[in-house]
Amino acid sequence: MKLRAPFRTAVVALIWAWMLLFVFLPNLLVIVASFLVRDDVHFVRPEASLESYARLLDPVYAGVFLDSLGMAVTTTLVCLLIGYPFAYAVSRLPARVKPLLIFLVILPFWTNSLVRTYAMKLLLATNGLTNQALLGLGIVDAPLRMLYTEGAVIAGLVYVLLPFMILPLYAVFEQLREDLLEVSSDLGAERWRTFRYVVLPLTMPGVLAGCLLVLIPAVGMFYVADVLGGARHLLIGNVIKNQFLDARDWPFGAAASILLTLAMALLLYAYYLSARMVRRRSADDALA
Amino acid sequence: MKLLRTALRVWLLGLCATAATAADKVLYVYNWSEYMPEAVLEQFEDETGIEVVYATFDSNEAMYAKLRLVDDKNSYDVAVPSTYYVSKMRREGLLAPIDKSRLKNFKYLDTKLVNQPFDPDNQYSVPYLWGSTGIAVNTDTVKPDALSKWADLWKPEFKDRLMMTNDMREVFHVGLRVLGYSGNDTDAAHLEAAYEKLKDLMPNVRVFNSEAPRMPYLEGETDAGMIWNGEAYVAQEENAAIVYIYPEEGVALWMDNLVIPKTARNVDNAHLFIDFLLRPEIGRLISEEIGYASPNAEAVTLLDEEVRSNRTVYPIDADLKNAEFQTDVGDAITVYEKYWELLKAGRD
Amino acid sequence: MRWLKHGYLGLVYLLLYLPIAVLVVFSFNASRNPYRWQGLSLEWYARLWDNDALIQAAANSLLLATTAATLSTLIGTLTAIALHRYRFRGKRLLNGMLFVVMMSPDIVLAISLLVLFILLGVKLGYLSLLLAHVTFCLPFVVVTVYARLSGFNAQIIEAARDLGASEWQMLRTVLVPIIFPAVMAGWLLGFTLSLDDVVVSIFVTGPTFEVLPLRIYSMVRLGVKPEVNALATVLLMLSLLALLASQYFLARK
Repeated sequence: MKLRAPFRTAVVALIWAWMLLFVFLPNLLVIVASFLVRDDVHFVRPEASLESYARLLDPVYAGVFLDSLGMAVTTTLVCLLIGYPFAYAVSRLPARVKPLLIFLVILPFWTNSLVRTYAMKLLLATNGLTNQALLGLGIVDAPLRMLYTEGAVIAGLVYVLLPFMILPLYAVFEQLREDLLEVSSDLGAERWRTFRYVVLPLTMPGVLAGCLLVLIPAVGMFYVADVLGGARHLLIGNVIKNQFLDARDWPFGAAASILLTLAMALLLYAYYLSARMVRRRSADDALA
Repeated sequence: MKLLRTALRVWLLGLCATAATAADKVLYVYNWSEYMPEAVLEQFEDETGIEVVYATFDSNEAMYAKLRLVDDKNSYDVAVPSTYYVSKMRREGLLAPIDKSRLKNFKYLDTKLVNQPFDPDNQYSVPYLWGSTGIAVNTDTVKPDALSKWADLWKPEFKDRLMMTNDMREVFHVGLRVLGYSGNDTDAAHLEAAYEKLKDLMPNVRVFNSEAPRMPYLEGETDAGMIWNGEAYVAQEENAAIVYIYPEEGVALWMDNLVIPKTARNVDNAHLFIDFLLRPEIGRLISEEIGYASPNAEAVTLLDEEVRSNRTVYPIDADLKNAEFQTDVGDAITVYEKYWELLKAGRD
Repeated sequence: MRWLKHGYLGLVYLLLYLPIAVLVVFSFNASRNPYRWQGLSLEWYARLWDNDALIQAAANSLLLATTAATLSTLIGTLTAIALHRYRFRGKRLLNGMLFVVMMSPDIVLAISLLVLFILLGVKLGYLSLLLAHVTFCLPFVVVTVYARLSGFNAQIIEAARDLGASEWQMLRTVLVPIIFPAVMAGWLLGFTLSLDDVVVSIFVTGPTFEVLPLRIYSMVRLGVKPEVNALATVLLMLSLLALLASQYFLARK
């Protein structure tokens, strides 16, 4: 019993100190900064103002926010469409190949995502490999213009973020019991009904988690928009980055960041609500 | 557990190795991307034994923002701002004075390019290279006579085919000149008009690039647009169809200058480096390789005839009709910044 | 049906690996042009070998990833144990904060830490990068280890305590062996996250300690330096080797 207390105190103090210093305090500073005035020399001037938030209301920035969210949502849906059947298919394979297959999904992470984005550029460029292949096969007459478009940004985001969708989906499919599906089909349910009323509700937590893990980073990945969008199709991340690393308007950058955080918090709340609903419904189903 | 311990030891070793490189024989250089031949850096390292740590930026704004973020424990020793940023940084006390008695090669500089209003008597800066921002066109896809002035870029045939530099002042130079204003205008109403004008250009713009503006042309992504003369020169070597045009309304002229930030820690090494770059032989090498004009009169005399007579690199007087040297716009810079943000964030 | 399934799996893997395959193949290209194949060459590897700055940046990135992963695993494991075993004030708030870090976009974390470091006068470089990386790796380690802890029978611990083991003995002989796989997984996760990060690194790095993403950011935007391909290939091979080695050692044990 002797050691328990000091050990406990030390660990709790350490983690508290870390979180306060590197999470709580910095976020507090950003909130404060967003209500101050820009200063050319000291970044911010201690003078209360709502100007940064007023600027965010400008239709141009509202447009960037909407565009950016639109791109992120599209990315998420594409990832879901690709990832859902994929995770299902992998989970139904023999146990000895599964770890390897899942490992192969994670392996690309070890190549820095910036490098992988650059690889996408090689594929999408006007005289890049995709166009060379299409032209060579005679499928198109003139090269497709894919680079520096919104589609290119979305493709890049999907490529970089797809594993974040697959992993949580795989985790729920792993827990999905085969016999449940069999019972359902034995009871005469068609494939679609089995999917709709058994599989989908049971995998919903994974779907929601995967969507969040894709959607949240997608709005901030400014380098994908830079490399594949030619600085023409901006994400919220680009706006925030420009304020801090080019224009030096900290209050405005901070305000944009807070707006982004709020939007994400809203999404998380929606996630929380729907997750609770899902749980309750499956509990009801179990009782029924 | 043994494995773990070995790993730990290797890792500690790595930590020590990185710490050890922080000796005093280093020089932190912060320059535009693609703006100095590697051979020049290597020769300097070989001659002096000073290790050059070289980092790059793609706009004056980014360079300035970065210099503001670092302090004297941790900063660059040489940076290369354009003239209008030299005056701004000088005014704000961000620069250390340059001791010209330690630059024995300073005398080779063209007398027309030293002692300029942005830095009288070159107390804080030394010219590195100068050049112009004009029009590039790929003559394989666009008839060259379709483009002779900035205003031609607005033609609908260029929809989604243009490249612009990712440089606030240069893009606004285009907008202002087309409207008949000076590229250094500080009048907020004029700037707003230029912004409105440039907004109409946006549907034609496919990409902003200041890291290597020649690349979108070489990659076939864009047919026309803005370019720096040196980038056009390098592009021509790879694809002769890419031609540099001096637009009728006038190119933007600029000069980039070597400065020593106030926070620099290796001031002696910085002086050695600047003096090294001022050697006529080195100036010649840089100008021939990078394709911008050298402010070093002695270096120009050494140039290969082909480069010296190349109008893309060394324009003749007729090319510079209506040309304007970029100057400091003072506080109006915030107006520029506001509209630049809006321009880039706006949709087509 | 089976055909369809395997075909689909193959297609997705093709999508995942095609860009990487392109990188690897074109690292052996004789041409400087990254779009045209002009025969085999090792020129870019030779160039890479000479490019000290790039190698230094890669070494720095690896060093940072190992340090950040180790430190975050250490703190994260302790935190998970504390969250699982002890009751203390503000536990929910702590949980909440970990969740916030895990769920905030990188860019939000990056600017908040940049503001903090500037205000405190922390030199932008190795230290700032390390602190930032540990912070964003931490919640992932905690979650991984915590999941393992809640997955096994708590009575084992109490049994150990009842048998007279001190807290320390219990930790060392019972708890640590049980959670060891999760700790390793947490470390690997931290290492991966750190190595893959671009956003946070770009904000909190400084001139004296350059990491890979910053070094290659402009190179990548130029898109004409096959040295990047060569470097990516080398790093990929190194990670595969490390993995095979660890598998081998684990199998022998």
